[in-house]
Amino acid sequence: MSNTVENVMEMEEDTQKGRFLTFSLDRESFGIEIKYVTEIIGIQTITEIPELPEYVKGIINLRGKIIPVMDVRLRFKKQSREYNDRTCVIVVDINDISIGLIVDSVSEVLAIPEQDIVEPPKMNKGLSNRYIKMIAKVGNDVKLLLDCEKLLTGDELEDLGKVL
Amino acid sequence: MKYSNEPMLDMFIFETTQLIEQLETAILSSEKSNCYTQAAINEIFRIMHTIKGCSAMMLLDDISSLAHAIEDLFYFLREEKPQNVDCCTLSDLVLEGVDFVKVEMEKIKNGDAADGKAYSLIDNIKAFLAVLKHSNTSGAPADTKEHNSEKWHKNCVSREAAPPSAAINFFKAVIFFEEGCEMENIRAFEVVHNLKGIADEVYHIPENITDNSKSSEIIQREGFKLYITTHYPYEQLYELLMRTVLLKKLELTEAESRDDIPALSQAAHEMCARVSEDGSPGKGGNGQREADYAEAQHVSIHNSIISVNVNKLDRLMDRIGEMVIAEAMVVQNPDLKGMQMDNFQKAAWQLNKIVGEIQDMVMSIRMVPLADTFNKMHRIVRDMCRKLDKEVELEITGEETEVDKNIIEHISDPLMHLIRNSIDHGIEPPEERKAAGKPHSGRIALEARNAGSDVLIIVKDDGRGLNRERILTKARENDLLLKPEDDMSDREIFSLIFLAGFSTKDGVSEYSGRGVGLDVVTKNIEKVGGSVQVDSVMGRGTSITMKIPLTLAIIDGMNIQVGSARYTIPIISIMQSFRPAENDIITDPDGNEMVMLRGCCYPVLRLHEHFNVRTEITEFTKGIFIMVESEHKVLCIFADELLGQQQVVIKALPAYIRSSGKTRGLAGCTLLGDGSISLIVDIAGLAGLSEPG
Amino acid sequence: MKRVLVVDDAAFMRMAIKEMLNKNGFEVVGEAENGYTAVRRFKELKPDVVTIDITMPEMTGIEALKLIKEFDPGAVAVMVSAMGQESMVREAIAAGAKSFIVKPFKEEHMIQILNKVLL
Repeated sequence: MSNTVENVMEMEEDTQKGRFLTFSLDRESFGIEIKYVTEIIGIQTITEIPELPEYVKGIINLRGKIIPVMDVRLRFKKQSREYNDRTCVIVVDINDISIGLIVDSVSEVLAIPEQDIVEPPKMNKGLSNRYIKMIAKVGNDVKLLLDCEKLLTGDELEDLGKVL
Repeated sequence: MKYSNEPMLDMFIFETTQLIEQLETAILSSEKSNCYTQAAINEIFRIMHTIKGCSAMMLLDDISSLAHAIEDLFYFLREEKPQNVDCCTLSDLVLEGVDFVKVEMEKIKNGDAADGKAYSLIDNIKAFLAVLKHSNTSGAPADTKEHNSEKWHKNCVSREAAPPSAAINFFKAVIFFEEGCEMENIRAFEVVHNLKGIADEVYHIPENITDNSKSSEIIQREGFKLYITTHYPYEQLYELLMRTVLLKKLELTEAESRDDIPALSQAAHEMCARVSEDGSPGKGGNGQREADYAEAQHVSIHNSIISVNVNKLDRLMDRIGEMVIAEAMVVQNPDLKGMQMDNFQKAAWQLNKIVGEIQDMVMSIRMVPLADTFNKMHRIVRDMCRKLDKEVELEITGEETEVDKNIIEHISDPLMHLIRNSIDHGIEPPEERKAAGKPHSGRIALEARNAGSDVLIIVKDDGRGLNRERILTKARENDLLLKPEDDMSDREIFSLIFLAGFSTKDGVSEYSGRGVGLDVVTKNIEKVGGSVQVDSVMGRGTSITMKIPLTLAIIDGMNIQVGSARYTIPIISIMQSFRPAENDIITDPDGNEMVMLRGCCYPVLRLHEHFNVRTEITEFTKGIFIMVESEHKVLCIFADELLGQQQVVIKALPAYIRSSGKTRGLAGCTLLGDGSISLIVDIAGLAGLSEPG
Repeated sequence: MKRVLVVDDAAFMRMAIKEMLNKNGFEVVGEAENGYTAVRRFKELKPDVVTIDITMPEMTGIEALKLIKEFDPGAVAVMVSAMGQESMVREAIAAGAKSFIVKPFKEEHMIQILNKVLL
């Protein structure tokens, strides 16, 4: 019986494999592995928490569950922008941490074949692409595939936590 | 591990932990009375038996063998009732076993491998049992008779009726059981027993299958060999034997005549003995047993208690909290404003009442008596006294007092620390006590009682008390004094012992020392929103009172507004709120703001500044002051306005936020009636921030 | 589906047995944590088979077995024993237990035994 469960799980994994939710910030298009995504909601009332890094906007009430939200623009050190009705919160679950990612807008779910995905080029500027795991070609477009785990860890928030 | 399955693992941990606690209690009380009663021996035997079985199922071989060894020991005690048992050593051995299992359980709980090795302990237990056996065998010969396994054993199975046909068939059967089926000899006994209805005579190798475990090895190796005479045909016998459980292989062959089978011809000369029906139900004792049974019906009533995973209760509590919020969202819905609706109000009132009742009920489910936590202290006292050569009586009162399950977990460690500290530093050695005219053995009173929405836990000893001067000296040396000494009350001075980096004893003893000061006590207690207070009289003793809230999950809160943000302050820390007159506000040359109230001066904390919130209201006369107290520190919080009082369900801030380590001043958050989030202000944290320096 | 009553004083063992049985197409219709309850539950539930732990408080498995057999001589009972309880298992078999299993046991052994005794 447990075997069948595993099979189902595997199948689920399989159907999720190579599928990405794409969203845009400015002119760039990003992709997130679909397995991390739990839901997409419109922008909510955000309760601010003092003294957090600028990109952690605060917390929201997601049907009784309190989750933090992160402005991905600010995370990537881009100019902030007023939220509007196209602004979306992508709720992701990364290593059991639920967090909402605020993005300009969500585009679509894409299946990207493995051969179209390549490693990002090494940059001379050091850490500039540390959140990008892979780069995908879709038609004439390029999608930057995010390293979700890096989004949460190995960043200032954690470094600060260690110092304190 | 065999069962990574969570509920099963949870159950195993839960049950074993419970049994171990029971065991410990039984041992400690036996030790106190310096004898193991028959009832205690039975109980310990049964507990070890259960632990043995369960841990074996979990493939925890060391725990299982250890439990087996102790079980054997108590089996001997139970059956032989030996005299002159060294109670002390016995208790030590079993307690050592208790500790071993505790450590292993802790590892399992934390998801680590239970890799402790118990063999040396098992050897000690076995050695103890061997000595016991040796000194208690008064020449009674042990059962050393070797059974010749090659000798044929005959079971003449007589049936009620005579054989239906005179034709008798002779069979030879060899049965192999599945590997690892255990107790092969009893499996063989089962086979012979099952043949009763069908066979006239049964002979088997090995001969002795009832109480010779060696026969198990032979059966494993060579199979169980049977010679059977029956009037039934091959098919029927085959079918019957095939129904043997855990059968691996059956060889059944028919012989032409009795003479083909040596055993049968040999046996022909022997008498037929009936298989004794040992253990058939005694008809005589029925009446009595039925009576016992009827009596036991009510005994089993208190078994209708079920154990529930705390996580489930936490989730239930969470849901209830949301229900409270949802109720407020409906009843206080802005759409309803200004409507005349008597029936709605009536129904809403009813709903409010039921929701309140459910909330109380769920709270009460989570309440656990302190008894288990308190009883653990007996062991601490025992071990400490032994090592330090002191005598201490532990007196427990109010152990039935109930506290929220989540809080109880935070009490155990501080309590242990206080008790250890009391025995180590408080209680004097017997000679010193005698010289001081005190009773020979020291006394520690552990008491719990309710006080409003708090529970007081008091640890009181009749030891030498705290030395005010020595504490002050020590505090001076370590630069722990924040106030002029003359301004400090005794209580404040005594409280210094709870500061980190304070330890009056130069020699760190094995117990209360450990390089950890009493500051862990305050830390733990403050974590659950409690406080600690010390009273002491030189030469008479010390009394330490821990004040802890009944529950963590729901508090009465005052909601306040600052700019667009809302905050909740626990009512319990609010002393009053007020609007000061302009000239009551003072600013010192450093820019620190203070407010005068009834001749006293209190520091002011502007919440909008502290939490960096934009607000229109920055003038003191336009907003409101809320005077709060924590740990004898008073602080006036300046906010825009009060929104009202409400019971709120505390939710933790998301782990991601907490991991920033920047949430000082915030105790969590809660959901308000309109679905928005209010941040719960941590008064102790804020009061700490307002400290000078 | 065969209906089983599981008797053991250790909740963990009941849970372990229950899981094994549920996985293998048996229906655990009841549980009991001592001999008395076992007899009562047996009378109420009339299960197809009952597994009985030998060492239990209040009333041992063997006493319970005897009362169950008195109530229903056709009752099918499998004893759950531990190592070192040979004589008690023997007594149980003589008293009408169909078979027994020794802790710690394997799932397949448990299932095999139950299937056999229910033939």
